[in-house]
Amino acid sequence: MRQPAMPIPSPFQSSIAKPGQGKVVLSLLPPNNPTLTTLTYKYPLKLVPRTGGFVPTPEPSALSDTCPSHPVHLYLLTYGGGLLPGDHIEVSITLEPRTRMVVTTPQGSTKIFKTDPNNNGSNPNVIKGHRKQMPANKHLSDMSQQTLDVRIGRQAALCYLPDPSVPFQNSRYAQVQTFTVDAAAKGDQRSSLCVLDWVTQGRTSRGENWNFRFWRGRNEVWAQDEKTGKSRLLLRDSVILDDETEDSDDSDASESEEDEVETTNRNIHNGLENRVDMPPQAPAGLTPLNIIAERTRPHGVVGTLILSGPVFEDLGAYFMNEFQSQPRIGSRNWSDHAPSSVPEPSTSHKGDVTWTSARVRAGFVLVKFGAKDFETAKHWLGGIIREEGSVIREFGEEALFCL
Amino acid sequence: MFLSQDLEAEVSQLESRLEEARAQLAASECPSPPSSYPNSWSIKETYNKKNKKQLDSTRSSLHALLLLSDSALPLGSFAYSSGLESYLAHNKPSRTSPSSTFHRFLKLSIASLASTSLPYVLAGYREPETLETLDNDLDASTPCIVAQRASIAQGRALIGVWERAFRSSFAGEGSTDPAVAAIDELSDALKSCMDDDELGPKGHFAPLWGTVCRAMGLDLQQTAYVFVVNHAKAVLSAAVRASVMGPYQAQNVLASQSLQDTIMKRIGREWNTPVEQAGQVVPALDLWIGRHELLYSRIFNS
Repeated sequence: MRQPAMPIPSPFQSSIAKPGQGKVVLSLLPPNNPTLTTLTYKYPLKLVPRTGGFVPTPEPSALSDTCPSHPVHLYLLTYGGGLLPGDHIEVSITLEPRTRMVVTTPQGSTKIFKTDPNNNGSNPNVIKGHRKQMPANKHLSDMSQQTLDVRIGRQAALCYLPDPSVPFQNSRYAQVQTFTVDAAAKGDQRSSLCVLDWVTQGRTSRGENWNFRFWRGRNEVWAQDEKTGKSRLLLRDSVILDDETEDSDDSDASESEEDEVETTNRNIHNGLENRVDMPPQAPAGLTPLNIIAERTRPHGVVGTLILSGPVFEDLGAYFMNEFQSQPRIGSRNWSDHAPSSVPEPSTSHKGDVTWTSARVRAGFVLVKFGAKDFETAKHWLGGIIREEGSVIREFGEEALFCL
Repeated sequence: MFLSQDLEAEVSQLESRLEEARAQLAASECPSPPSSYPNSWSIKETYNKKNKKQLDSTRSSLHALLLLSDSALPLGSFAYSSGLESYLAHNKPSRTSPSSTFHRFLKLSIASLASTSLPYVLAGYREPETLETLDNDLDASTPCIVAQRASIAQGRALIGVWERAFRSSFAGEGSTDPAVAAIDELSDALKSCMDDDELGPKGHFAPLWGTVCRAMGLDLQQTAYVFVVNHAKAVLSAAVRASVMGPYQAQNVLASQSLQDTIMKRIGREWNTPVEQAGQVVPALDLWIGRHELLYSRIFNS
């Protein structure tokens, strides 16, 4: 990971924040100088800013209008590269008008751990022991949560292309990402956002195949009228992957998990029995198909990309065009000597990616995809975004850090 | 103001449920657990003449129920396969058991419908005065154009049927039913709204279904059950027309205990889901529905 080029404000100043909380305000100071006027965070969350990495090339005349300031890069990290049960990450970011921010997670993946006393050291022990002391775990919830709340002012832009979330076996995770844009801004004044949210089947090397208990990803875009304070839902994308074992063994499961969190060194026998109790959870790898795998089949990763606003207009149009020019399904070349009427597709079709792109309301382009594995999805998505080129032009190569 | 209205609505709802429960208790010899719910309007009730008013309301709700579950209800549901056509194109039926491919789809489709739309049906019934917000939120939550078109077309057709056919019988002249008022309001908004207003009212099917069912005197369980069973009927009918199975086989599936259990289970799961928590549980289905547009030949609109 690169070192921040800007001094990090002392972590002591963040004493007001609760564990896992972070707050960032990006302002544009005169004449045209993007500055983080607030940056606080608290363990296990870490926010690392980096400015001056990329300065958009002042080429054609139009650029100076559409690109009012150079982007600030924010790394969003958690110790251990993921979230433990009970962790609650809460990040609030404000982008004041005409600012731009790139957010990435330079950790390869966001791991969703499951604290399990009888696992064979699949979690880094140091972290497990260490974070037990944190007050965030006092409520003994075994769910990891992350909320991201971003306010994007007029003409401001957010480019958020993070690593996928990798939920480990038996983990539980809920994430809510809310993006609020200025309702009064019209045309080129509108806020822009590019948000990627993707989840994988888990660690394939360990035979995990959608063996987690619960994963929910919700992304909402609201338009708020600053004068009246009224907000309106523009877009909601919500995916729920639930193995539905809660229904049957509700009370038992929650009790036993509280125990698990409390006593790390519980004897192995108990743990094993506990596992046998859970009806549909056969050992990983041997499970024919659990309910989540059944509902995501044949994909090993599913995700959503949300694009909106003037900055990502071209990228959205590119995705729409690529989608519409995909070969028709079930079309056949009836004459066997004529050359194939379907032209060979470009990068967007390499690999096993099933995707759809839709221009939904309010100018949003919503891309949904499923791919056989993480590498395929990453290659496909990175390929299209690089091929189109506007993200790199506006935000620099580092915006595609995770792709 | 609003609060007292809400409370009144709730009181009347609870009262009617209480009456119904009493009638059931009196009339039933066989216990009626939730799974046999649709059979719970026992025939005996019709002979129970002690409570004339109760009898009338049961009869009219039964009548409304039959109207709303009729496949001849002009909503145009026959034009949609809810992704089945695209699913079949993406998943070639296996030669050994072609119908297992379909059964998988039916299960996924019902689960998905329940998780994405059913909370809106229930909310449309419970709080008809929020119909316009529900309509906006569902529009915001529908990720693909194909599904959006299908939902809007059926929703508007439902308003049409309500206004032209049902309203005169189910809502008297000066009706004060909040459900009736909510439908009128949405209908007016739809008529006065310009076509190019992207964020204007749309008339999505699910919340309107809830509100219309309430206006027609169904109870909440009936409303939810008919909504899901109608969906299953539409998918099965599409399967017959797509030559996945024959009509008898389709009726067999429709009549099966396993379908009833699936429906009850899904309704039970979503009964208390607030609309904010509604979401897609079958991500693959979004992809199939979205890619319906890419089919070389198609016989359905979705």
